[in-house]
Amino acid sequence: MNKVYEKLSKTVVGIAGTGGLGSNVAAALVRNGIGKLIIVDFDVVSEDNLNRQFYFFDQVGRVKVEALTENLERINVGVNIEAINIRLDRENIEGIFSEADIIAECFDDAEQKQILVETVLSRMGDKYVVSASGLAGYGRGNEIVTKRISERLIVVGDGYSGIDTEKVLTAGRVGIAACHQANAIVELIVDEM
Amino acid sequence: MGRIKVNGVEKEFGAGEFPFNLSELLEMLKVDSATVVAEIGGDIIERSKFSETVIEDGDSVELIRFVPGG
Repeated sequence: MNKVYEKLSKTVVGIAGTGGLGSNVAAALVRNGIGKLIIVDFDVVSEDNLNRQFYFFDQVGRVKVEALTENLERINVGVNIEAINIRLDRENIEGIFSEADIIAECFDDAEQKQILVETVLSRMGDKYVVSASGLAGYGRGNEIVTKRISERLIVVGDGYSGIDTEKVLTAGRVGIAACHQANAIVELIVDEM
Repeated sequence: MGRIKVNGVEKEFGAGEFPFNLSELLEMLKVDSATVVAEIGGDIIERSKFSETVIEDGDSVELIRFVPGG
């Protein structure tokens, strides 16, 4: 087997939040043959998610992690997915992602982002976290970049475009950020693991 | 007089301004402590310890700020 795919097939990635970022990061990693995904969210699919998230109209009202598991299995029927329908917090992050090598921070809420990144960096010594900040609005696609902040932290985004100021989230811009995250995760796996 | 670095940029403070803690630094910078991950000299400071973490002359502070959207 090609060395890239061999490494990907042995890696476990945690997806914290399965909205616009997480559902698309998961799809990209499944297409690349990731070994296992631990997908975590507490939400259900709503109609206004469909402008950017990897769900379908007939899934509105369904538990997100269950609907996403079905969609990922339609890409690769043999994919290994652990779906957990729970709200992540400071107390349960460590246990839920104990098996993961890398965790993708894919939340919407800024405080949730802070909690996830801080917990991984301060309490989960051997794990990487790939986060996203600044992807709301439209256009300015080339302002979205991947930055290596420190040994175990990568942040993608433009760093300033929040939903609070930009008012909209669009499939293109959120998708660019999600693909930056998936791309950074593949690079970590292939080059550093 | 003393100097610290915040995200690589030097900031000067008068002798009488030290010491201050990380919470006070974030207030001075108008940064919401609920949406920032902080490192001092490469070590992560948990948010619950911001107000007891003293900033000293020569410290290098990294602030990673998160904006909502996903």
